[in-house]
Amino acid sequence: MKWITARRRHPLAGYVVVIVALAFLGVGYAFISPTSNHAVADTVAAEQGEVDIANGKQIYTQSCMSCHGEDGKGRTKEETGSAVAWGPSLEGVGAAAVDFYVRTGRMPSADPNVQMPRRPQVYSDQEIADLAAYVESAFGGGPGIPYDVPGDAPQRGEFGSDAEYEAALAEYEKNYAAYVGGGDVETGMRLYLTNCAHCHSWSGAGGALTDGRWAPELDEASPRDIYEAMIVGPGAMPVFNDDTISPEDKQALISFVKNLQDEPNAGGPFSLDRVGQVAEGFIGWTIGISLIVACAIWITAKQRAHD
Amino acid sequence: MSDNQAPQAPKALRGIGNYIDDRFHLAKTAEKNLRKVFPNHWSFMLGEIALYSFIILLLTGVFLTLWFNPSMSHTVYEGSYERLRGVEMSEAYASTLHITFDVRGGLLVRQIHHWAALIFVASLVVHMLRVFFTGAFRKPREINWLIGVAIFSIAIVEGLFGYSLPDDLPSGMGVRIFQGVLLAIPVIGTYLSFFMFGGEFPGEAIIPRLYMLHILLLPGILLALIAAHFIILWYQKHTQYPGPRRTEKQVIGTPMFPGFALKAGGFFFFTFAAITGLSAFVQINPIHLFGPFTPTSITSGLQPDWYMGFLEGSLRLFPDWFDFDIGGYAVVTGVLVPGLGFMGLLFGGLAIYPFLEAWITGDKRAHNIADRPRNVPVRTGLGAAGITFYGVLWLAGSNDILSHTFQISLFATTWIFRIALIVGPILAFIITKRICLGLQRRDRATLEHGYESGTITQLPGGEFIEVHKESSPETVEVLQSAKYQGFRTVPPTVDANGVESPAARGFLGKLRIRLAHWYTKDNVSFEDVVPHSALHGEQRTEEKAGQH
Repeated sequence: MKWITARRRHPLAGYVVVIVALAFLGVGYAFISPTSNHAVADTVAAEQGEVDIANGKQIYTQSCMSCHGEDGKGRTKEETGSAVAWGPSLEGVGAAAVDFYVRTGRMPSADPNVQMPRRPQVYSDQEIADLAAYVESAFGGGPGIPYDVPGDAPQRGEFGSDAEYEAALAEYEKNYAAYVGGGDVETGMRLYLTNCAHCHSWSGAGGALTDGRWAPELDEASPRDIYEAMIVGPGAMPVFNDDTISPEDKQALISFVKNLQDEPNAGGPFSLDRVGQVAEGFIGWTIGISLIVACAIWITAKQRAHD
Repeated sequence: MSDNQAPQAPKALRGIGNYIDDRFHLAKTAEKNLRKVFPNHWSFMLGEIALYSFIILLLTGVFLTLWFNPSMSHTVYEGSYERLRGVEMSEAYASTLHITFDVRGGLLVRQIHHWAALIFVASLVVHMLRVFFTGAFRKPREINWLIGVAIFSIAIVEGLFGYSLPDDLPSGMGVRIFQGVLLAIPVIGTYLSFFMFGGEFPGEAIIPRLYMLHILLLPGILLALIAAHFIILWYQKHTQYPGPRRTEKQVIGTPMFPGFALKAGGFFFFTFAAITGLSAFVQINPIHLFGPFTPTSITSGLQPDWYMGFLEGSLRLFPDWFDFDIGGYAVVTGVLVPGLGFMGLLFGGLAIYPFLEAWITGDKRAHNIADRPRNVPVRTGLGAAGITFYGVLWLAGSNDILSHTFQISLFATTWIFRIALIVGPILAFIITKRICLGLQRRDRATLEHGYESGTITQLPGGEFIEVHKESSPETVEVLQSAKYQGFRTVPPTVDANGVESPAARGFLGKLRIRLAHWYTKDNVSFEDVVPHSALHGEQRTEEKAGQH
């Protein structure tokens, strides 16, 4: 206490108190604030498995029909009588669209009036496969789910034993490495910088779009997510079908994105999230010049007059 | 050595010293200059940061030129960076990759060069703000202020050109915007662009040309201007803040040798350490991740370095409502005004300000004592308004990053910044001026009443008072400096016979009188203040008892 008493009238004491109080508040808030629910849906690998269209129909009836309509033709706000319950037509969207929207947790959506962010997936892989099969069969076909492109890595919770899980993980990693390593990175770079970077940014960090929309960041997206997004064209994104960008070129493009993301930051441990010049300028001012000015204050400091 | 009492230097050194002095007669000059006095205040060290980071830029820049190949001829990368091997690119980009991955220490030096550039321009700005707010640009230092403005503007262009050299994705986009602004200049725009690029964009000529400008012409000019800036500073001596024994004719501080030289030397190494520390730990401009520039490539989320940010912001904010055609030729005011007009506004405004203020106040005297910003509220307010205007443009340059990071609609940010650009400076002026006036009032109160000691005393009559104590002589001197301001009074416009003074006639004369009045009218008067004349305390209460 003597230590504090001796220094409480120090010119910097006020700032120290404010900083300590802010740190206390911040840390305290982090403790008591509700943490987001990280529960992972119980997913079962459904690849090339059997699908249960009846189950798909039941899921559709429960979770999708209120907005997309019983006939899949979509419903307007006037028809549903609610500002937060309307949806576009699902005619001809195909299984890939269902897989993309539901597996990335964007559907079911709480509010169709705002862009849906990526969220934990609500249905298991098997249920999504059932639902996709139902939508495909009931409302007309579209692009199918590209099962040959690696999706999300298997989770421990999906398997009964460690051995099964490890076998599945090794299989997944082999496929992933083969797919991502198989593309021509130069072609991928040209395609990405010409077609994708002006919204998703050079690093895949995403970016702002018009009308309050944004291009999502690609770091969480699996190769299959990116592939499906290209053939589906969600939101403001154009469709890149196989005539525009062939499957080999899509693989090259995905290889480029994933290779860039895996690339270590050669320039130092602090990559500034690869935001680039804005973050660099911010650090230059807040750390660089501030530190040097603080040193100038330090070396020219003298005893203060007594008052 | 003129001082016979000083211990003798070793014989060998004396021999060399005498040899040199016999030929060049340096001893006298050296002694005079080594004893030159530098006032001690942290804000006088800001310009030195710029000097030191410039030295670092020169050193690292020379290192980089040893390997950089400023050529736009095509090549296929075969270096050690696996991800880009086999990719077609320009020699400039390939050699930058070579520096990054195959030259020992190359990446570190590249990052030091880049961070030092950011720090260099930032220190120019803080140094210039110090000079502005303390009125150190006034006579006799106007010329040095102009040189400083020139250094600032050339440094920005120098930075832009350096950013453009590696021929990576951002540099190509920067050059493209630069060309767009050139094209917007009426009549000569297309000719200028063709001249600059030696044909269509991007051509093969631009990088060798920018390289010549970046490593030869502009640094040469900068070096000459910095030397001139420094020589003038040396000759005119430093300004100093008010204090005891500090007068217009006498500088109080640390002599150049050994005190100040030691501090300055240490400060150089600290600046170097801070920049190198940033470069070692924080990645900057990772050109190997960006990839090479091709005219079809484009990316979002990419900005120029911070010092060009205000121009980027003005381009993003300024609407295209005023574009028009003359006989089928478009005059693109939407690019012309923000691209060149705002730059002219910034540098022109900075250059003209000392002369404008001298004209308004009619103050033609030389000033070596710096103003305290609060004592010149209008200038301080104008400075704050300028900072706000610049700051809003600067923020607007990153509006897509802000929009994405803080999840604000992009269109909303544009309108927020457009409104803030007009309202912000006005608010900043009013608020700053009010704060200054408040501080003036407090200064006057402290001067008259002393400072509150925190001691509570009960008087015999039962009244409690807080004892006020006399401020130190230093504080009194500092507070009283408000008295010595040159332009407190507006000259009389009408003489004793009712004849209007010549200076007050005509439109300009009347305008000047009104501006001078506006400049000083709200200042708190210190004319009749006697320090400690109204000290509350035991010894004074008896005298004052009758007045209560």
